[in-house]
Amino acid sequence: MTLADIRIALPLLILAIGALLTLICGAVTRKQTIATTIAVLAAVGAGLAAMTAPAVLVAPSLGLSASGLTRLFIVCFALMSAAVLVLSSGYNVYRDIRGEEYPATILFATFGMVALACATNLLIIFLGLEAMTFGFYILVAIDREQRVSSEAGLKYLLLGAVSAAFLAFGIALLYCVAGTLGISEVMQRTLAGTPNPVALAGWACLLIGIAFKLSLVPAHLWTPDVYEAAPAPVVAFLSGASKAAAVLLLLLLLPQAGDLAILRVPLFALALFSMVVGNLAALRQNRVRRMLAYSSIAQMGYVALALLSHKGGGFQAAAFYAIAYGIMSLAAFGAIGILERNGCGANLDDYRGRGFSHPLAAGVLAIALFSLAGIPPTIGFTGKFLIFASAIRAGEIALAILGILTAAVSVYYYLRVVTALYLQRSEHEERERLGVFETAVLGLSSVLIILLGLFPSPLLDFLRTQLP
Amino acid sequence: MIVPLTHLLILASILFALGLLCVLIWRSNVIMMLIGIEIMLNAAMLVFVAGSNHWGMADGQVFALMIMAMTSAEVSLALAMVVYLHRRKKTVNVDEFRELRDQ
Repeated sequence: MTLADIRIALPLLILAIGALLTLICGAVTRKQTIATTIAVLAAVGAGLAAMTAPAVLVAPSLGLSASGLTRLFIVCFALMSAAVLVLSSGYNVYRDIRGEEYPATILFATFGMVALACATNLLIIFLGLEAMTFGFYILVAIDREQRVSSEAGLKYLLLGAVSAAFLAFGIALLYCVAGTLGISEVMQRTLAGTPNPVALAGWACLLIGIAFKLSLVPAHLWTPDVYEAAPAPVVAFLSGASKAAAVLLLLLLLPQAGDLAILRVPLFALALFSMVVGNLAALRQNRVRRMLAYSSIAQMGYVALALLSHKGGGFQAAAFYAIAYGIMSLAAFGAIGILERNGCGANLDDYRGRGFSHPLAAGVLAIALFSLAGIPPTIGFTGKFLIFASAIRAGEIALAILGILTAAVSVYYYLRVVTALYLQRSEHEERERLGVFETAVLGLSSVLIILLGLFPSPLLDFLRTQLP
Repeated sequence: MIVPLTHLLILASILFALGLLCVLIWRSNVIMMLIGIEIMLNAAMLVFVAGSNHWGMADGQVFALMIMAMTSAEVSLALAMVVYLHRRKKTVNVDEFRELRDQ
């Protein structure tokens, strides 16, 4: 192991050591804040380590690399986990989730995402993805006092294990065809020329597995239940970071292949059904979290559309939208967590008038919802614009028109929440209780939503150098 | 190699399909669903070992070992959850857990 190897693995090492320190800390002191502080420092440290690493390093003996795209996503994952830890510190007191295992599990899940981002072969990708999902199995069911949280955990675990089996079987079939686990060799040997039936079966299994992680229709059934029952910061992390990790997985694989004609039909179907089913099901929901869950299915359908239209710059659009969706869900579920802590229920009616009694949390939620609906000048508008522009450039006119129509439909259910927040008075007169750090995280994410919506070019230029 | 790769792939596909069927229809018992998932993962391991033998490389076998490690972690997690759910509701029937649903 050389110094360069250690340099690449440094974010991973920091996260692993930080998680272990957090666990040990629980044995020494029962103070929750110390464990959380260590975990936040480890997450931020991992992000800084990735930022300062020299460009384009490869450690073949470890199966890791640190390209620009990888480092961008590592920084996103690390900062997102730090933000989630900060948001959970207040929320967990309200839900009475105690113990050092919560911050440690968040760090372990982040470890999995970072490992996936660094991977140069399919083994590390699989292990990273599963390490991340294991963390979420625990985090979803961590609130043992609530009946529904264990039910959500069971559903997520069973479907997740089935999808892991599909992923493993798909990778195994691709390995049989390609004879190696290296990403670029596998991609060139399994997708080029006349399709081999074994390779086709392998890709089908792999896509089913990834569709579960991205909650694309028809592998979306776990999404509403998990979004409804899990703690709000965990949902922010699940929806923001784990879906970004699954998009990153596809972005690591697909650009390596010369020709993606084989994957056009399955991606087309996934995008079509996710956009239609997600948006139509969200229209009928009266619970805000369930509505956002169905909307996330639709949003991932847009990402699938972007991946499909790779000839028109869709890979860049997908990467941009993955990051944008991460920030938006962090803001939305962070704000929902704070509203719930201040006595807000699950139904839309409970959100009435919160814009007056809880101005900050409701304001951040409103910004996040405007952005999810794709209203300018937010990051959601820029991301959707990039996706539909690339789809039209790549000749996917039918799907682009359908996407724009469903996005227009989606404005209705997002703005329904905003009208409930601001246009209806209610009798809540209690004061908003908010910590300094929570305010900072929420403020920062809403500033990023607007800032990246107004000035997306630095991020886009960077992505253009990294992706075809 | 005496057994051709195709035969192993066919056997593994049958195993995988059986495991999937077990998960889909045996909903009255979580433990049987977990066994179905195990059978699916074992089919994947069989394909890895077969491919590794076919190409004369060791990385497929390493992957199979890693799947074993992953599976044991997954099963311990799942069984812990089953014990907890059973204590809570006195049943392991998946269909009994349906408080979360669209209204």
